[in-house]
Amino acid sequence: MSEPSRRARTHLTRSRRTLLGLTAVLALLLAGCTSGSGSSNSTAGASVTLSYSVWEQPQFATMQKLAAQFHAENPNITVNVQLTPWEQYWTKLQTSVTGGSAPDVFWMNIPNFKLYAKGGALLPISDQVAKDNVDMSNYVSAIADAYKWDNKIYALPKDVDAVGLWYNKKLFTDAGVKFPDASWTWADLTAAAQKLTDSSKGIYGIAANAADQLNYYNTILQAGGHIISPDGKSSGYDSPEAIKGLQFWVDLINKYHASPTLAQMTDTAPLDMFTSGKVAMLYGGSWSVLSMVNIPYAKENVDVAPMPKGEQVGGVSNGLGNAIYAKTKHPIEAWQFVKFLGSKEAADILAATGAVIPAYKGTTDAWVKATPEFHLQTFVDELAFTSAYPSSVSSAAWSDFALKEFAAAWSGQESVEDAAKHVADEMNAALAKENQ
Amino acid sequence: MSETAAASRKSRRQGGAWRKVLPHLVLSLGAVFMVVPFLLELVTSVKTFAESTHTPPSLIPHPFEWGNYAAVFDSLPFSHQLANTILMTAGRTAGQVLFCSMAGYAFACLRFRGSGLLFGLFLSVLMVPSQLFLIPNYQIMQWLGLLNSLPALVLPGMFSAFGTFLMRQFFLQLPTELGEAARIDGANPFQIYWRIMLPLSGPGMLALAILTAIWSWNDLLWPLVVNTDPEKMPVSAGLAALQGEHLTNYPVLMAGALLASLPMIALFVFFQRRILEGIAFTGLKG
Amino acid sequence: MKRMGHPPRAPGKVSPYPRQSTLHRKDARWALLFVAPTALGLAVFCIWPTFQTFYYSFTTWGPFGGHDWSGLDNYRELFTDPELRNSLISTAIFTIVTLLSVPIGMVVAVLLNRPGMRGLGLYRTIYFLPTVTLPASIAIMWKMLYNGDYGAINWALGLIHIHGTSWLANPDTAIYAVAVVSVWGSIGYNMVLFIAGMQVIPRTLYEAAELDGAGRVAQFRHITIPLLSPTIFFVTVITIIGALQAFDLVYMMIGKSNPALAKSETVVFLFFHKAFLDSQGGYAAAIAFLLLTIILVFTSIQFRMQKRWVHYE
Repeated sequence: MSEPSRRARTHLTRSRRTLLGLTAVLALLLAGCTSGSGSSNSTAGASVTLSYSVWEQPQFATMQKLAAQFHAENPNITVNVQLTPWEQYWTKLQTSVTGGSAPDVFWMNIPNFKLYAKGGALLPISDQVAKDNVDMSNYVSAIADAYKWDNKIYALPKDVDAVGLWYNKKLFTDAGVKFPDASWTWADLTAAAQKLTDSSKGIYGIAANAADQLNYYNTILQAGGHIISPDGKSSGYDSPEAIKGLQFWVDLINKYHASPTLAQMTDTAPLDMFTSGKVAMLYGGSWSVLSMVNIPYAKENVDVAPMPKGEQVGGVSNGLGNAIYAKTKHPIEAWQFVKFLGSKEAADILAATGAVIPAYKGTTDAWVKATPEFHLQTFVDELAFTSAYPSSVSSAAWSDFALKEFAAAWSGQESVEDAAKHVADEMNAALAKENQ
Repeated sequence: MSETAAASRKSRRQGGAWRKVLPHLVLSLGAVFMVVPFLLELVTSVKTFAESTHTPPSLIPHPFEWGNYAAVFDSLPFSHQLANTILMTAGRTAGQVLFCSMAGYAFACLRFRGSGLLFGLFLSVLMVPSQLFLIPNYQIMQWLGLLNSLPALVLPGMFSAFGTFLMRQFFLQLPTELGEAARIDGANPFQIYWRIMLPLSGPGMLALAILTAIWSWNDLLWPLVVNTDPEKMPVSAGLAALQGEHLTNYPVLMAGALLASLPMIALFVFFQRRILEGIAFTGLKG
Repeated sequence: MKRMGHPPRAPGKVSPYPRQSTLHRKDARWALLFVAPTALGLAVFCIWPTFQTFYYSFTTWGPFGGHDWSGLDNYRELFTDPELRNSLISTAIFTIVTLLSVPIGMVVAVLLNRPGMRGLGLYRTIYFLPTVTLPASIAIMWKMLYNGDYGAINWALGLIHIHGTSWLANPDTAIYAVAVVSVWGSIGYNMVLFIAGMQVIPRTLYEAAELDGAGRVAQFRHITIPLLSPTIFFVTVITIIGALQAFDLVYMMIGKSNPALAKSETVVFLFFHKAFLDSQGGYAAAIAFLLLTIILVFTSIQFRMQKRWVHYE
């Protein structure tokens, strides 16, 4: 931005502040704080600036590229991409929505979606989708469905992820164990993990972490259980299948001693253990490609295979979406931009960077080819059977509680059954509150 | 000189060498405790990303990746944000030193009804978590049209209960006779404040300035919430962007953190000499 | 504000000045002028939001504004919440350990307040360094030091044959470990306050005491501590208020699936969680007010007790 305009703007606000300062104080003390931002209707063709809020620094340049591309195709609309760090993103978004001046378009994810949709913070786009003939079947269905609330669409899917079994080829070869493949079952994994563990060298077979999306959500589904019931009203944690899915990990640590302890995995990130050759296997996300490729040891020695099946195959996928602020001053232009972001053109640009898997079907080849060192097609193939990240309006409450409870189970302070029961109780209470 | 005085002085001379060494010993041990995390920060800042994630961690980087410091300037508009940090800090510090010394003087030296209650109200502000103020202050800034601006960073930080409390304590340490004598001579409270109390409270104001500067320098949440353009953020917010959802470039973050703390360290080195040379206060004759 | 009567320094000296009340009749007008800027600013930015929050503690506050009256429900829930009970204990432990930074800061300040001591500037800068470092990097560095397998602390302990635990992942030690980092970061802060406070103590007093045969320790006990007591009082009050609101360090050093989390959450950590992550704004407000009450009680006790040991002029 140019020097003179910046100075002019500061000068204006300073005198305005001096004038309004005292009056503001008095007015505020008398009345409540009501945010009265007048909405101006934007006429098509007038010059408009949209704000687009994102959180991932590595993708920031790509987002700017997309914004520039969109501007080239729509010269009257300028998009201002804003980066907010992940840690503060949701605090800031909640604050700005409450205050009434959130960005026009912003990234949304599944765990937070229902809260924002129910709270009226998002603009429904079902009508626009129908009018502009946007074919929702172009997107991975689990993600497209996840962004529906009350039978209305609220966001267009941007990307999708999956969890795979990353493994260290070198350690496997050294121990004489066959590489994992699509035929693997839990038993194969457990056996291999034990064979690969060599305590004299400080090497473990697998990092059995207590993370939800990376670890137990997947195994619960693979055991035939579920985390939240399809109608969204009850918890599936206390079912025997779910407990099996949780016990799988706990046994790897406490029964088979094929994994570091949770304390060790708290001190040192499992991903770091894996890329340093200290664990032979790791359930890792498709997003970890960037890390793997930037660490020479990992780039040379690791690869990825599908997660082994329990009773069945299964897994969770999260996916980001682009949503529009309900009170945006430029709903028409914002929709144009979101439509562009959901187009094949944008998906191709995203895929080529190798950062994330686009949610637009048929564009994944570019992502797979961007990092030929690993069998990234594994993740794409998994999309055929993964289900959407489990969520409800009060997701944050019960999922954080689950992490806390299961940390106790993983470190042997509590039995898995007890922990699962506590989590189910807490979750059911939260869900009941939501649905009343 | 009394006998006991002579005797004790003699015994002190005998323990003389030990008395010289002991403070240094204590201080050095403490200094090691203080400095070890920094050495760690320094070492990490010159590692490559791969080496920084390696476990067990290496003590000496191999190779030395000095490029991390250049990468700081690539990853964020560092100099611009540093300028914002300096402006924000200067604004808040100036405001607090002025306003808090005035209010502290009033509470310490002036008698007025309700002063106890008012001071209690001030203190109660310190007793609630500051995150409480986030949303209301955001709404106020929005109302004033100051969202995403530099004044928004400065304004709420110019008023402080902590600073008022601090200055009150410093004014209370000064003898009342000074003020009383001036009163007898017909001076009004402002003249007493300006001519007598303020010059004497130099150390207090300096301490307030330093502490306000420290707090402001690393303030993170409020700038991130109220401003959106990277060019309007302070450096603490810019560095926070390096911590991603899944990936954090630790070496570059450490390099940025070290660069960001250099100005404050330089400022402190300058000011602590002033305290040492006693320029900030006049001697008080008992 | 009542100021306690204190025996004048030179025994036998009687104040020749008339009663103070006749001089202070017009104070109120001046006081208004002096207090106005800060009072207005605090009223707008802090006090009004605090009253607002007090109101919200009697409601179920939606995530984006909008609320329903719920009376005392939130407070009733407070008293049966096991998480809150644990957080109170963790906060208490944190506060007690953090108080160590007061005497340590004072000792450091006294040692670094002697003119002519070699390396003064260097020492002061080193002790000051933690206060200007980015909190995020402090958390990262200390996490590395506390690492159970590879951290420097356990390495040093290993040299004297003590097997250290995983300090941040062990529920019994985690809150203490974080509190130590808080002490580490506060020493420099308190040092600045104490050095400033000591500038007001005239050198002549120390010289006189030296001539009378008082040793360093005696000087410290009879001159430094009484005359520094307003600053000591201030630092203690501020340290306790700050420690009772501990949040940032705990949040940055103890993650969501850390087995020590349940026993390390502090009250403000819980508040932040409920307010911004769980969208239970009303309940969070109630937590904030419980904390305010606790801090108010402790601070009032300290203000009452200052009559016993704090010497004002």
